[in-house]
Amino acid sequence: MKYLQVDFEKCDGGRHCNRECEVACSKTLYKTGDVAYSAIRLLPVKGQDGALAINVCNQCGECVEVCPTEALRQNKLGVVLLDKKVCVACYMCVGFCPTLSFRQVTGLHEPVKCIVCGACVKACPRGALQVAEKPQPEPLIAAR
Amino acid sequence: MAEDYTKRTEYTGEAAQMKAAHVLLREVPFTPSLPELGYNNRTLHIDLTTLTVTEKPVTQQMKDIFIGGRGFGLWYLWQAIKPTTKWNDPENDIIISPGPLGGNTQYPGSGKSLVVTLSPQTSIPIDSNVGGYFGPLMKFSGFDALEIQGKAEQDVIVVIDGQKGVVRIETAPLEPSDSHVAAEIFTAEYAETEADRRNVSIVSAGRAAENSLIGCLNFSWYDLRRKATRLKQAGRGGIGTVLRDKKVKALVCRGPQVRGDMNHPADMARITKVATKLHKEIHDFDDQQCHMRRQGTAHLVEIMDAYDLLPVHNFQYGNHPDTKKIASWIWDARFTQGIPDGCWYGCSMACSKGADGHIVKTGPYKGHVVTVDGPEYETAGGCAANCGIFEPDWLLESNFYCDTYGICTITFGTLTAFIMECYQRGILNKERTGGLEMTWGNAEAQMELLHQMARGEGFGKIAGLGVLRMKRIFTERGWGDPQLLQDIGMEIKGLEYSQYMSKESLAQQGGYALTNKGPQHDEAWLIFMDMVNKQIPTFEAKAEALYYFPLFRTWFGLNGLCKLPWNDIEPEDNAQTSEPAKVPDHVYNYCELFSGITGREIQKQDIITMSEKVYNFQRVFNIRMGKGLRLHDTPPYRSVGPVTREEYESRAERYDTQMREEIGVNPDGLSVDEKIAITRRYREDRYQKLVDAVYTRRGWTTDGVPPVSKLQELGIDFPELVEVVKQHGG
Amino acid sequence: MAARGMAMIRVNGDPIEWHEGMTVRDVLVARNYKFPLIIVTVNSHLVRREAYDTTVVPDESSVRVVHLMSGG
Ligand code: SF4
Ligand code: SF4
Repeated sequence: MKYLQVDFEKCDGGRHCNRECEVACSKTLYKTGDVAYSAIRLLPVKGQDGALAINVCNQCGECVEVCPTEALRQNKLGVVLLDKKVCVACYMCVGFCPTLSFRQVTGLHEPVKCIVCGACVKACPRGALQVAEKPQPEPLIAAR
Repeated sequence: MAEDYTKRTEYTGEAAQMKAAHVLLREVPFTPSLPELGYNNRTLHIDLTTLTVTEKPVTQQMKDIFIGGRGFGLWYLWQAIKPTTKWNDPENDIIISPGPLGGNTQYPGSGKSLVVTLSPQTSIPIDSNVGGYFGPLMKFSGFDALEIQGKAEQDVIVVIDGQKGVVRIETAPLEPSDSHVAAEIFTAEYAETEADRRNVSIVSAGRAAENSLIGCLNFSWYDLRRKATRLKQAGRGGIGTVLRDKKVKALVCRGPQVRGDMNHPADMARITKVATKLHKEIHDFDDQQCHMRRQGTAHLVEIMDAYDLLPVHNFQYGNHPDTKKIASWIWDARFTQGIPDGCWYGCSMACSKGADGHIVKTGPYKGHVVTVDGPEYETAGGCAANCGIFEPDWLLESNFYCDTYGICTITFGTLTAFIMECYQRGILNKERTGGLEMTWGNAEAQMELLHQMARGEGFGKIAGLGVLRMKRIFTERGWGDPQLLQDIGMEIKGLEYSQYMSKESLAQQGGYALTNKGPQHDEAWLIFMDMVNKQIPTFEAKAEALYYFPLFRTWFGLNGLCKLPWNDIEPEDNAQTSEPAKVPDHVYNYCELFSGITGREIQKQDIITMSEKVYNFQRVFNIRMGKGLRLHDTPPYRSVGPVTREEYESRAERYDTQMREEIGVNPDGLSVDEKIAITRRYREDRYQKLVDAVYTRRGWTTDGVPPVSKLQELGIDFPELVEVVKQHGG
Repeated sequence: MAARGMAMIRVNGDPIEWHEGMTVRDVLVARNYKFPLIIVTVNSHLVRREAYDTTVVPDESSVRVVHLMSGG
């Protein structure tokens, strides 16, 4: 399955770039330079003053199980996609994302997540991002 | 076991023919609208006698004083009925209202409908808080409340179509009234596509509601994963009986495709902030705390047993060695896991568990494969433990039939336990029950009683009148000692007890008996605070708790909220707060939610002030209907102390110690009967002292009447209320 | 009933027998306190959930186990 892989050796947390990934993402997803709309974010690292690190969805799929409207589904490449037409903006996916990568953005109805479009991959001047493959995990829908 | 959880008996085969048999009696168009700041500012009134459909404006005064939900229900009911009105008079009104916060899709527990009517059991207003999509979908069609008055001549349905903007009254002669079938068929009939089913919700009752006084309403929602209509119950007080008496087979609401901002809140960001915080809390801590997401309230079964609080054998005892057979881990395995079981969008607490693949053992649906909605704790306590039936499959069976027949599992559990005790004590026997062997643990007899109730036959017909009326009937027939019947019949004001033992908690004795609608724990659950923590040792402290908690909890019902996400999940730092029992951080959330949606800024004290108006209004309403005085706040002795020798002896060390230490009497050498009498005198006296303290704290007279000055202080000194309280020394 | 002179602690006001090395968990088990939403203090010091197994309760302590609420 496809996901956005971050090379944390190459990404130094925005110290030597202009956060091109965030800008590319918000432009692609919402046609805005306001990086609040970006699905990939450079976020403060807990306990490390001033340090930032990439935070982005790894397509683990836990939110799919949580969504009450089936607005979230994994496509055949394994990418979790959101159907805006049926999303009711409950933000349970936001609260239940294990990596805190599903985000609610003020002013936006549906929450924002990475769709592995690759825009940030091209934009990153340090080549820290790539679209990668990993094995599909066991299905999460539990039998009784 | 990877069984297919979508497999169940289907009932929609003849839906098209059934729908074709409907005759349209009335069709009235309306302009669909969405709320502004949580209110549509109009409600819908339907009179089934005259077949009229009218819109009513919501006044500012209604919003200021009654807020919505239960408040609107009580206000409309007051207008609709007279002091002489009986539950089955046409003017009795069923009011369904979701409240201003209802239908928000972000904050867990925001999809409740509040239902109010004049109860067939208590002859005073009953209010019930229920999940399912009906209330929110009705609100997003354009109405803050629905009133159903009058009586139809034949079985009808009322359809509110918020997509098309039309209200229809149609006959519905062919659909069965039992809810698990009715909800599925009506959903199929009125949803235009498979995807549209989520926009349809049904309110229905069932056969037993037609033939008893203890009918409940089922509110449905369409479960996308299971591809099933699921049910939640407005259980208490016989509302389903009123619905069927009005010859309503179902209320159907087809609302618009839901979006997250349909309440048009004043400040969306404030709502989402507290909502995502709570989702995260539930995600992080539910697994260590209550396991609501896996077990629902059934997580409490073995806990209540451990504290001697699980009612066993009609509230004689508080635990049983077989509780493990119906404990939470059994349900953890029976419930299909990994499904978002919220009774409305956005409820990440997801406690509406379903046991799929139950094969029905008895009755008209024998052999059908069904999804059982539950069991919840109350159902396990009532239908299982209280009747001595510790078999999960039988609990699923009684749970399923109570729901589909449209009767309350709590009431059915308590009244069956009463019958079983009467049987144990020879007050009833096989001849008197028409052949039913109502011995403890006899699940088949319990089910037969239920089927009789549904058919309106035999002893089941008597049982369906509830404990209050059974006591009268047994006494009239000379069966048993009237005092004993009074002592062990677990009802107050005509409503059966819910499933907690209050014997060792004076505060909870008040928590049950000093309620407006009757002994349901949703006003106050103080047992741990009182009995285990010993935090409220004095009468004054107990009275303070019996002032605060009923008012705090009333607020959920004014706003369309569920109580569970308030204190079935606890924030990480709750222990460090000044009043952990109140869960201050969640109280803050509620203020944010209310302010954020309605634009009316409130703080925590305002929650109490808002509720106090409605709570006192309801008390005066009870007085108006002849049942709101001190006399009516008297519990049966079973809920206060040991009635029988076996009860005393089963906990003899506890009672003897109390006699020595609290009463100041040496129990040595006294007979059990003497000790029972001494304990009783002490406990009954202590209860009366509690009542004095609570009435004082609530600002009522010693007879339990809110005086005119209190009504003035609360701004509810309407002439008709003043007149009522003046007649009773207020 | 414990004999006079035996080591004791108080739990929510009630005396219970104490033994060397007694942990918070031991106290909860002794009292059959199975409810998950509790707040434990030992001599007014808060004990966090994670520390129930490792926190030792000294002789003559006053232990409070405050149960919150849950359910219907
Ligand atoms: S916010 Fe939308 S996508 Fe996320 S869980 Fe809710 S309905 Fe599903
Ligand atoms: S906690 Fe349970 S009952 Fe309450 S709203 Fe959520 S799912 Fe419904």
